[in-house]
Amino acid sequence: MSNSALSIEQFHSGVVRIVALKGRVDSTSANDVMACLSNLISGGEKAILVDLGGLLYLTSAAFRVLLVATDEAERGAARLALCNVIGHVRELFEMGGLLDAFTIHGSREEAVDRLS
Amino acid sequence: MPQSTARTAEIVIRNDMAELANLRDSLERIGAELGVPGKPLMQLQVALDEIASNAIKYGWPDGGNHKLFVRITGQQDRIEVEIVDDGREFDPRDAPPPEPQPAGRRRPGGLDIHMVKELVDRLEYERVGGRNRTVVTKRYARRRASERRTLI
Repeated sequence: MSNSALSIEQFHSGVVRIVALKGRVDSTSANDVMACLSNLISGGEKAILVDLGGLLYLTSAAFRVLLVATDEAERGAARLALCNVIGHVRELFEMGGLLDAFTIHGSREEAVDRLS
Repeated sequence: MPQSTARTAEIVIRNDMAELANLRDSLERIGAELGVPGKPLMQLQVALDEIASNAIKYGWPDGGNHKLFVRITGQQDRIEVEIVDDGREFDPRDAPPPEPQPAGRRRPGGLDIHMVKELVDRLEYERVGGRNRTVVTKRYARRRASERRTLI
C-alpha cells in the first residue's frame, strides 16, 4: 500500500555505508528504515550515513527511528550521521528542536570525508 | 461560486498503521486538485500522520479492531481535516511539550503533538458522545492567481 511512499537505496563509499532515503518517512514506513539501519549496525557496519536529500518529508516516527538508531550505533561503537538535511526537511528538524540531536553534515561528499 | 472549488473526501480506516497510507493518498489527491503548494500540503500530511498514528498507538490500550473516521475538506484557501475516533479521551491541546534534553540526548516523547501544533494554523478538539473529534486547519495561498480567478 505504501510501497511508493519511500525507497531506500544503499551504497558503499570506501568504509562508509550510505543509506539514501527518497520519498516520505511516516508512520507506515518508519519501521522499514529502522529495520535497514538495525541490520547494518548489527552486521558490523561502523560508519553509516543517512542521506535525506531525496525526502519530501518525515514525521516524528522517523525522528524516533533515527534517535534509536543513533543510540544503537553508539552501543555498537559505530558512527551514524545524516547529510543533505535541507529545505522543508530541515525545517521539520528545527520544529522538533532536533538539529542538535544528530551529527549532521552538508553534502554526501563532505559527510563521507568526515566519516572515513 | 467559491463552493465550486471545494473538495471533500471521507475515509474510514482501521486502527492499523498501514492504513495511514490511505489518508496520505487522499490528502495528496485533494491537494493536487486544489493546487495546494507543496509546503503547506506536506505540513498537513505530517500533522495528519501524527494525529492519526497517535490515536492508533494510544487510543485503545486493550487493542481490538476499531475505526477512525476522517473527513478532508479542501477549500480555496484552506484544508480542514477532521478525525473522529472512539478511543480513550485525548485532548491534543493539553499535551505537554517535549521535555528539553541536553544536546545529543533528546528523546522524542511528546514530539508528535508538538509538531502538529507547529504545522497547522488551527487545532480544535472536543469530546462528543464518547468520541474524540479533532480538527486541524491549514491555510494556503494557491499556486496561481489566474487559476483562482478562473475557478471562482
